[in-house]
Amino acid sequence: MSKVITLKAFFEEARAGRLTGIRCGRCGELAIPPKEFCPACQERAWEPVPLGGHGTIASFTVIRVPPRGRAAEAPYAVAVVRLDEGVSLLGRIVDIPLDALKLGLPVRFRPLVHDNQTVVGFGPAV
Amino acid sequence: MRRVAVVGVGVTKFGKHERSSAELFAEAARDAIQDAGVSPRAIQAIYFGNVVGGEAERQLHMGPQAASVLGIPAVPTTRFETACATSHAAFRHAVMEVAAGVSDVLLVGGAERVLNLPTDSATEYFAFASDAAFEQPAGLTFAGVFALMARAHMAKYGTTEEQMAHVAVKNHRHGVLNPKAQFQKEITLEQVLASPKIADPLKLYDCCPFTDGAAAVVLASEEVARKSRKPIWILGSAAASDSMCLHDKKDLSRILATERAAQAAYRLAGRGPEDVDVVELHDCFTIAEIMATEGLGFFEPGTGGIAAEKGWTSLGGKLPVNPSGGLKAKGHPIGATGAAQIAEIVTQLRGEAGPRQVDGARVGLVHTLGGNAATVLVSLLGSE
Repeated sequence: MSKVITLKAFFEEARAGRLTGIRCGRCGELAIPPKEFCPACQERAWEPVPLGGHGTIASFTVIRVPPRGRAAEAPYAVAVVRLDEGVSLLGRIVDIPLDALKLGLPVRFRPLVHDNQTVVGFGPAV
Repeated sequence: MRRVAVVGVGVTKFGKHERSSAELFAEAARDAIQDAGVSPRAIQAIYFGNVVGGEAERQLHMGPQAASVLGIPAVPTTRFETACATSHAAFRHAVMEVAAGVSDVLLVGGAERVLNLPTDSATEYFAFASDAAFEQPAGLTFAGVFALMARAHMAKYGTTEEQMAHVAVKNHRHGVLNPKAQFQKEITLEQVLASPKIADPLKLYDCCPFTDGAAAVVLASEEVARKSRKPIWILGSAAASDSMCLHDKKDLSRILATERAAQAAYRLAGRGPEDVDVVELHDCFTIAEIMATEGLGFFEPGTGGIAAEKGWTSLGGKLPVNPSGGLKAKGHPIGATGAAQIAEIVTQLRGEAGPRQVDGARVGLVHTLGGNAATVLVSLLGSE
C-alpha cells in the first residue's frame, strides 16, 4: 500500500499553508514528493507525513541577474532549507533583509504565488 | 566489444555568429570529416546535440536539418539532450554503436545559438534545465544553482572567493593560446574579485559566457581507424546521474554524479586519476572546476581551491586542466561543449595543440556536467 503525492496535490496543500512529505514504510527515508519508489531502498511503501515548515538555511544565494520576467523582483534570495524533520526544501526567501542571511538562520515555510503558480517560500521563523 | 577511435575533429570559432545552429554544425562537421580523411558518404549516422533550439531558433528536428545542410540528407540522425552535457552523451552512445559492430564510421557533435537572444531570455531558457515545479518558480538561475553549491563548499572546507578567482584567471590565460576561444584576453585576480555580483558569492568573471558555436568528431572502428592519420582511442566512456532537485541531493558540497561517472570510466579504462596527463572539465562556473577536480579524484575533497591557487592545474603545472581555456574563456555553446572538449583532448593527445600543448600527454580525461549537476559524463582517451 503506497500513497503517491502528486505535484498538484503537494502544491494545493502548500498553497493552504501545509507542507507534505512522504516517509518510506520500509526504511524510514523521508522525501519531498513526487516519488514512486524509495530512492534509498527501492520499496514502494510511502506514507504522507505533515511537515511543520520550520528549518534552518543550509545554503543561500542572492540572485542579481534574474531570468526574464523577474527583473522587478531582483535582487532576491533563494535558499535550500534543512527542515526540522531532516529533509531539505528549496524556496524563495521573503521578508528577511539580504544582509541578514546566513547559514543556520532559522526560517519558516510560507506559500507564495507567482503567475498563479504556488511557490515554496520561507520567511522569518517568528 | 570493438575498440573505437576518434579519427577527426572540427570546432567552429566560439562567440557570436549570424548563422543557424545547423549551419554552424555543418562547418564543424566538414572540418572533422576532412580531418578524418573519409568521404562524407562514409558517415553511417549522425548523433547530434542541441539544447534550446526550440526556444532560441524555433527549430526542433535539427538532426536532419544539419545533415541536409552538410549535404548528406539520407543519413539517419538523432538529437540528444542532457542539458550542458548534451554532445558528450551523444558521443557515449555513438561509441557504443561502433563498439557493438552496428556501424564503422559515425559523426557526433552539437551546436548551439543563443547570442541572438536578450540575456534574460537566454537565462530563462537555460533555467528550463532545472526543476520546473520547485526551482524555476523560485527564480533560481544556473548561476544560482552553482552559487548554492559554492556556499556549501566554502562553509564545509573554507574555500575562498580568491581561490575561485584563480580558476578564472588561469582559464583566461589558457584561452589566449586558443584561436577558437571566445575570449582571448588575460584577466587579473583583482578584476575577477571586483566584477559585479551575479548570484552571491559568484561574480561575473566566475561565470562562463553565453556562446554560439559547434563542434564535431568522427568516430571509427579499429579497422577503419588504423588507416587514419592519428587515431585517438576511447579507453572508457561513462555516464551517471544524481537527483534532479538540489534539495534532494545529499551533500551540496559534492557532485555525486561526477564521482559515479568517474569511477565507472576509470574502471572501464583500467586506469586511475594518477594516469591522466591532461583534462578538459566542465568549468561553467569557477566553483564547478574546483568541485570537478575533487570529484574526479585528482585532489582530496576540499583541496580543489588550494590546487587552483597553487597553480597545479595551470599549463606547466602538475595536472593541466582546461588548456583550451575551458568553458570560462573558450565559451560554452551548451549543445556543442562536450564534443568541443573531446576535440581539445584529441588535439592534445595528437601533440597538435601548439602553444597550449601539454608535453607528452598520452592519456586525457573529458568531464561534462549537465543541468543542476544531475547529469555527468566522463570519458578517458588515449594515444595508444
